[in-house]
Amino acid sequence: MKLYIDVKESSAAKKVAVDDMILTKDLTTTAGSKMLEGYKSLFAAEVVDKLEAAGYDISGKANVGELAIDLLGETSYFGAVETDGKLTNAASVAVKNGDVCGAVVFEVNGANARSAALSDLTFLKPTYGTVSRFGTIPAACSGETVSVMAKTAEDAHALLDTVVGYDSKDGTMHAEEKCALLKSGADFAPVKKVAVAKSLCDTADTTKIEAFKAFLAKEGIEAVEVDADILSSASAAWTALMCAELCNNVSRYDGVKYGYRTKNYKNIDELYTNSRTEAFGMLLKSAVLYGSDALSTGNYEKVYDKGLRVRRVISEYFASLFADYDAVLMPVSSKGEYTMADIEADRYISFKENRYTAPAMITGLPFVVTGGVQLVGNAFSENALLDLAAKFEKEGK
Amino acid sequence: MTKEVLLRLEGENQLALDDAQRDEILSFFDAQSAEFEKLDSIDTENVERMVHVMPILTVVRDDVMIKNFTRDELQAGAPETMDGYWQVPRLVE
Amino acid sequence: MKYETVIGLEVHVELATESKIFCSCSAKFGAEPNDHVCPACCGMPGMLPIVNKKVVDLGMTAGMMLNCDINRTTTFDKKSYYYPDLPCSYQTTQWFAPICVNGKVKINTSKGEKFIRIKQIHMEEDAGKLVHDDWTDTSLVDYNRTSVPLIEIVSQPDLSSAEEVLAYLERLRDLLRFAKVSDCRFEQGSMRCDVNLSIRPEGSDKLGVRTEMKNMNSLSAIERAIDYEVARHIDALENHTEELVQETRRWDDVKGKSYSMRTKETAGDYRYFPDPNIMPVVIDDCWFDSVKASLPEFPEVKKARYIDELGLSEYDADQLTQSRAFCDCFEAAYAECGMAKDCANWIISDCSKALNRRQETADMLKVNGRALGQLIKLVTEDKVGRANAKKILDAMFDGDIDPERYAEENGFIVSNDTGAIEAVVKAVVDADPKSVADFKGGKEKALMALFGKCMKELKGNCNPQVLREILIDCINKQ
Repeated sequence: MKLYIDVKESSAAKKVAVDDMILTKDLTTTAGSKMLEGYKSLFAAEVVDKLEAAGYDISGKANVGELAIDLLGETSYFGAVETDGKLTNAASVAVKNGDVCGAVVFEVNGANARSAALSDLTFLKPTYGTVSRFGTIPAACSGETVSVMAKTAEDAHALLDTVVGYDSKDGTMHAEEKCALLKSGADFAPVKKVAVAKSLCDTADTTKIEAFKAFLAKEGIEAVEVDADILSSASAAWTALMCAELCNNVSRYDGVKYGYRTKNYKNIDELYTNSRTEAFGMLLKSAVLYGSDALSTGNYEKVYDKGLRVRRVISEYFASLFADYDAVLMPVSSKGEYTMADIEADRYISFKENRYTAPAMITGLPFVVTGGVQLVGNAFSENALLDLAAKFEKEGK
Repeated sequence: MTKEVLLRLEGENQLALDDAQRDEILSFFDAQSAEFEKLDSIDTENVERMVHVMPILTVVRDDVMIKNFTRDELQAGAPETMDGYWQVPRLVE
Repeated sequence: MKYETVIGLEVHVELATESKIFCSCSAKFGAEPNDHVCPACCGMPGMLPIVNKKVVDLGMTAGMMLNCDINRTTTFDKKSYYYPDLPCSYQTTQWFAPICVNGKVKINTSKGEKFIRIKQIHMEEDAGKLVHDDWTDTSLVDYNRTSVPLIEIVSQPDLSSAEEVLAYLERLRDLLRFAKVSDCRFEQGSMRCDVNLSIRPEGSDKLGVRTEMKNMNSLSAIERAIDYEVARHIDALENHTEELVQETRRWDDVKGKSYSMRTKETAGDYRYFPDPNIMPVVIDDCWFDSVKASLPEFPEVKKARYIDELGLSEYDADQLTQSRAFCDCFEAAYAECGMAKDCANWIISDCSKALNRRQETADMLKVNGRALGQLIKLVTEDKVGRANAKKILDAMFDGDIDPERYAEENGFIVSNDTGAIEAVVKAVVDADPKSVADFKGGKEKALMALFGKCMKELKGNCNPQVLREILIDCINKQ
């Protein structure tokens, strides 16, 4: 078990962990893969520069599952992180045990959201295109987003304030005035009416959802159950899109330019195949092959293109909800704890458990995790989401 | 999904599985494909595909040359180099 | 049986930009290996592609020159395959919505005029280069060319002979050079061509088995390769020497033969999909109009205008319109001095000679046209002698200078002081009584000798007509 891939001695007051999908210059970045063991980037991520400029010291690189697509970091080549037999990913352990005042992480398939929910931390995935992805390890570029995790909504917001903002090195960013809507102090309309996504609650332990609904009732915030059947489709669609993009993004790791190279080769194909086969774990290999199939001639229309269309259908469904509601309440995971036994029973569990996180990942919408529940908001509604989370953390618990 | 297709995919992605792994992945493919086929019930006939989730304007940069990195830095972590080149087994000409 | 040849071409042209298509590395040809490289060019994770605007400008320009429709929303896609010259194992190209579609190009051959349809033009990144090292039996990878911007011009299969192919390629080259899209140098690989060829019985509407020859990089090699392939296909059909299969072949220009390139069975599915990291490029009216406004006249339109409006000869107009740099220089010079014939002469004769001495091509002419116009004015107004004017032109090749000030600084200004001229002439005439006697005795050549001596003494700074009059006057007074 390895919490940090690399650490730096620090006596700074404001210490922060970044996860190992985010490139740093002095510390190694591995994406949890043997392929990048010991890899040192020549440049740091934009968010790392922003954190350091704001006086944060990056004291460690939190271990992640290989390419951040797994359930709770269990596929890291450097070992899964278990606390009392329970799985959580490393960033949330670092925040929980007070090593750092918060963590800046790269959300691809919900691992950080799940881990924060299981650890009773606050997590925020901002609107796609408000935090620079320059200097992140690409996995599923159409949805992956730099996110923040802390013990409270206030601390999470302070980190968000630091990392959010336009960057000309990322071609998928909103203008600065849009990014500024996320910052503390910007005007926002508080959450007054919440939709509760029935189709997702039906398959999960809803103890925490009920507790949150009780808080909403006490606050006089209306909570209305909606069927939200279409949101159950997000998992299959996101898994296909994510695997396809992942297949393409990890094709650069081939043993030629940097990173792991097999000792066992006589020609270029053996160099490629043996390097990749020896260095990649089984979940990543499966994802690459599934994604490759989704893009294959004959399957493209049926799978990849269909996934892109379903993405729009889900996006439009959310838009219709936001005409009447300010946020959508849903679970983060189907149960309250996971162990290695769950993984041994089903290696592919993260492609099922992502049914709760995929709706926001596939649409780029922001969501906050607090008290073990998830609230998805409209684009740029982070202030409202964090405001509600802060109230809950003060009054609801 | 058949083993033949899987072998082709392995080749296209420069991966080599053993038979036990193939069996495992074939059953994963079957399960995941079955999940995906449920999306058939969603009518997407007249739905435009959504590649980008946010309506962000075209970003282009001016044609300006900037050099920020040296060859030595870029090759510091290379498995094998020669005379400033990355080196690989000979490709058949 | 009579056969007809069906040929379609895919022409790759490297665009004339300073930097690469998605990163800011230099796009220039010729550097130490891996010198024009950054983390993105060698496949390292973390950098994101930002499209070079000039690439889109030049893509549109090419489309407009080739009568294409421009897709006002154009997108980039990823194409996957493994090869060491492709550092990310994917190439970013345009598959779903290329920048230009439906063009046509007119060619002239011995059989007359013909239009070749353009299917599409798309923008993409070039791959790196491999060098094969016999000593270590390895291949060496150079990523300098990685991500250098390209356009690929895809024709319809409208070409039917090597002659037409050459006419088409030369026409593309002329138009793209004229519009400053590319320097189109086959020898440096900035223009390359894939030839798709099949044959069928004349009159048949069914296409035969198609073979593709990739990366042809000289016009003469293309001509030989087409002739060889046509003969090979016909031989296969008539004499059953081999069974034709759809394949990629390599042309060996030294042996004069094409060879099958054995390709791996697994290769082939490129799995194109839209690049999530690049937003669609939307070309608004303002952008479109600015590119449209920057288009040059077509060379033949310019030529006709030079003849009809400026009174140039067919020959002069033809010489000038061989090169955009010549035309630009000519037009700027003409705008300055208003003397079309003189401007044409100076460029076609004097500038060409200077270019030759420097082993440069017409397209490399960098002389400031306005300054050339000023120089021509100085000559026609008899302020600078012709020999000195050529020296000033030489200086203009080396840098941007003001010809009049340069002439003043170097003592090239023609003197109007007749007293000073008379003094020089008198001294020369007095010192050479033999030539004076010879001239008076009827030897015209003797006058030339005296004239030359005077001109030399005056450092060329004298109106020849004035000098001649003073000289004859002086001799007659003897």
